Amino acid sequence: MTSPVAMFRFSSLRARLLVFVLLAILATALLQAGLAWRAARAEADALFDRQMAQTAQSLRAALPQGLATGVLPLPAEEQDFDFVLQIWALDGTLLFQSAQRAELPARAIIGFSEVTANGATYRVYSMLARGLVIQVAQDMAVRRRLAGSLALRTAAPVLWLAPLLMLVVGWVVRRSLRPVDQVREQLAQRHAEDLAPVADAGLPDELRPLVQAFNALLQRLAGSFEAQQRFVADAAHELRSPLAALKLQVQGLQRAPDAASRERALERLGAGIDRATRLIGQLLVLARQQALQTGGSPAEALELAGLARQAVAEAAALAQARGTDLGLVEAAPGLVDTHPEALRMLLRNLLENAVKYTPPGGRVDVSVRPDPTASGAALVLAVEDSGPGIPEAERRRVLDRFYRSPDAPAGGSGLGLAIAQSVAELHGTSLLLDASPDLGGLRVRLVLPLHR
Amino acid sequence: MRLLLVEDDPMIGESVLDLLRAEHYAVDWVRDGEAADTALRTQRYDLVLLDLGLPRRDGLAVLRDLRARRDRVPVLVATARDALAQRVQGLDAGADDYVLKPYEMDELLARIRALLRRAAGRAEPVYEHLGVSIDPATREVLVQGKPVVLSAREWAVLEALLARPGMVLSRAQLEEKLYDWQHEISSNAVEVYIHGLRKKLGADLIRNVRGVGYMVPRQ
Repeated sequence: MTSPVAMFRFSSLRARLLVFVLLAILATALLQAGLAWRAARAEADALFDRQMAQTAQSLRAALPQGLATGVLPLPAEEQDFDFVLQIWALDGTLLFQSAQRAELPARAIIGFSEVTANGATYRVYSMLARGLVIQVAQDMAVRRRLAGSLALRTAAPVLWLAPLLMLVVGWVVRRSLRPVDQVREQLAQRHAEDLAPVADAGLPDELRPLVQAFNALLQRLAGSFEAQQRFVADAAHELRSPLAALKLQVQGLQRAPDAASRERALERLGAGIDRATRLIGQLLVLARQQALQTGGSPAEALELAGLARQAVAEAAALAQARGTDLGLVEAAPGLVDTHPEALRMLLRNLLENAVKYTPPGGRVDVSVRPDPTASGAALVLAVEDSGPGIPEAERRRVLDRFYRSPDAPAGGSGLGLAIAQSVAELHGTSLLLDASPDLGGLRVRLVLPLHR
Repeated sequence: MRLLLVEDDPMIGESVLDLLRAEHYAVDWVRDGEAADTALRTQRYDLVLLDLGLPRRDGLAVLRDLRARRDRVPVLVATARDALAQRVQGLDAGADDYVLKPYEMDELLARIRALLRRAAGRAEPVYEHLGVSIDPATREVLVQGKPVVLSAREWAVLEALLARPGMVLSRAQLEEKLYDWQHEISSNAVEVYIHGLRKKLGADLIRNVRGVGYMVPRQ
């Protein structure tokens, strides 16, 4: 058994609509019946009261002069009339009583009154005439019956129509919900990769925003799906070159005719393995970086200058080996919200890049300064070098994965700046590339808001 | 035979260059599309080994330009672009063959030999002419069925001349086939190799056309 409460919890819109419409129809029918009954009662009362009064009048007119005692003969047609008639003398003797004995109490209130006798309620009309009291009474049950049947007759059509109405309502509801079915079918037939928007033409206003929101979600999904696919395709392509090199290097080793060329081939093979290792390492970093971006681990408040100092110290050996003058020129204090591991990776990549692209004897400066534009509410981390820089046209592209400048030194993976950019995005910002005003080479800046 | 290697990856380039030179091809190596364009406009090559993903100018554009100039040099595309559409596009742009990276060097060499053979207008792998037969795959030379040992340069000169019997090749043309950009050409080197060849193969095979160059007669 389902309780009525459970019935209202139908998860189906169609069932809920049908139930509520059915209840509304029933309530309407009941209300209509009630109103009809009341109106019929009032009308019947007025009608019968008037009739009773007329009956009394006509009795008075028909009374013989000097009526003594005894039962008056009454015309037959008045015998089965459902009125009770009594005529009293003023002294209380019953002069006449119609065949229907109601045994009304022998007291009279002139005009209309209601009297209970023999377990029934009577409506009584009493009238004084020529020293007699004429009483006309009627059982109220008659009136109720009449009103009841009138009310029933009024409400009956609605009740009869209810099943038909249910059918019509069911049809309309089903028809109105057809767009929902259409959308469902459209989606059910889809392949997993099909992220094209769902057609919203002809949808009702209630459904369209839902479908549009869903389409927006699909579009975002398609975007990230596409980025993922592009990454996989790029990675597959990019992995092929180091593998091709390795294969050729091995073949070179196999074919080497003498010790010297074998030595050279072995050296090349070692370099090829280093390169493949580096590329795979960077691919993993990038993948982890993106997982972090979608996973959303919480940020920590850290001293930015401390991170910069640490990164410069780590890169010092590399810089010295290449004869590059690497230093931290300014370290403004201040905490920033950061993902420390990721930011360390960004700094490492930027510093390695700067050292690699700067000719030996060049200079690389790292600085942490208050942001001059954002009224001191942010810190600017900058890495600049005295290298050749990047032409303006290429600055956007160098942030793309696997993009390598034609002038780039050999062996790069084309991922260093892409990883740095992905870290910047993790921090809700983006790398700014321009020419270094002091050193003439590339300047990379990252603006990080201060921790509050 | 002189080949142009167009390859931007230094590790691949170095290895292929060494392996091709070990096969006695004269090889020039360029690392971007613009340099490839320049080399192809200024020098005649017997075959081009072309990578597609190149800096500065895409390999496909280089190839289309080459064919637009009606240059019929055989082009072997060697690339990591493996999608069917790209392979079709490469061949339709005028490539003669297509190998995917990473490739086996043996396969690459066999494809190079096949293309050179076709370019010389023959299908059979062994050349036989006037009692001299040479096999480019094994570098075997037989004179009247007896093996003869040639130096690498002598082999290169003989292969060039036997490829087109009846066609006269000038000394400069022969030099081009022998030396890539890395090697200095000594002034009378070609004469020295011709002399060596005549001694080993018989004086009649290679004829001197005075003031023009050398040829192997048709009959």
